[in-house]
Amino acid sequence: AGDEDGPSVQATPGRAEVFATVVDTFLEKLVAAGSYQKFANCYRCFYKLQPEVTRSIYDQFISQLQTSVKDEIQEVKNEGNLELLFNSLDKMVEEAKNQEEPAWRPSGIPEEDIRSAMVPYLLKHRSYLRKILKEKEEENRKVAESVLAGRDRIGELQQLIQARKHAWQ
Amino acid sequence: MSVNPMAYEAQFFGFTPQTCMLRIYIAFQDYLFEMMLVVESVILKKLDGFPGCKISPFQIRKSTEKFLLFMKEHFDKLFSKMEEVLLQLVLNIPKNVLLPEDKVHEQYPYSKAQFQALQDEIHQLQQQYRAEASAGQALRAELEEQKAVQAELEKILQWFDGLDNICREHGTGNLEESFAFLTQNSKKLQDVLKDVEEKSKKIK
Repeated sequence: AGDEDGPSVQATPGRAEVFATVVDTFLEKLVAAGSYQKFANCYRCFYKLQPEVTRSIYDQFISQLQTSVKDEIQEVKNEGNLELLFNSLDKMVEEAKNQEEPAWRPSGIPEEDIRSAMVPYLLKHRSYLRKILKEKEEENRKVAESVLAGRDRIGELQQLIQARKHAWQ
Repeated sequence: MSVNPMAYEAQFFGFTPQTCMLRIYIAFQDYLFEMMLVVESVILKKLDGFPGCKISPFQIRKSTEKFLLFMKEHFDKLFSKMEEVLLQLVLNIPKNVLLPEDKVHEQYPYSKAQFQALQDEIHQLQQQYRAEASAGQALRAELEEQKAVQAELEKILQWFDGLDNICREHGTGNLEESFAFLTQNSKKLQDVLKDVEEKSKKIK
């Protein structure tokens, strides 16, 4: 068979699919076990009396049971948003497939675990401090230059004044 | 056998897988019992339409119990298998998978010492910055003082220049020379006055 258009068939079924299949299998096997024969056998006297009614009651029973089971499963899926979670978990598993090492797990000690969570903020803070420190140092360097120039100028002015004073004496 | 609390799965799903399975088990079991009661009541109702029959409600109850027991056994077995598969394949997070919200732990596995070092470095940078900031303030304060001093000195210089200009304007040329000339003249005057005094004394 050549390549088909559209999404390729997954080699491994996703979690949602497995979930659905497993539930269906459960129901199938349960219904198979609770066969009509078994039912009629248990309710033998009534079966002898009313075989068609027995059949119809059985059919309704099975159908109701299946509906209730499927509805319950659907409710659980809706409440827990399971379709979404299953798909997203499948993706994560796929992305981690080349990772052989066991991943990090919470240590159970909040003080330990919170360290790594704080590190990115601390790193940001550190680089911010480095930046403003550098800027401040540069700024001060310039102001220091002005201060030195100012001192020279004052010295100059004082000398000029001294010269004038002497000339007038 | 240790029980796996599946806490990481609970973090992801928002519920413990085992709790979820238990909920489903109880719900299914309830439905099964309910259905059986309905079956029984329907049969009993049908029997009411047969007043002559020999079947007692007690017999029906026995039948119901028999079938229910049978169903329950299979139900438990099948559910157990289903639960096992779900817990292993669907409601689990493989050991090598890290939830995206926990990425920082993979990116920044800082030990206690490394973390402390980072905090110390930050503390030091803060102190350095504070020092630079006060140094800057001091420098700027001196700059302000310098401005005031320079202004005063320039005023004095201007005053001197002003004097020169006045003299030049009034044609007296170099004021110092004039002063020098004046002082010389006044000295001469004083000498002449002295002479005159002496001469007048002699005359008297």
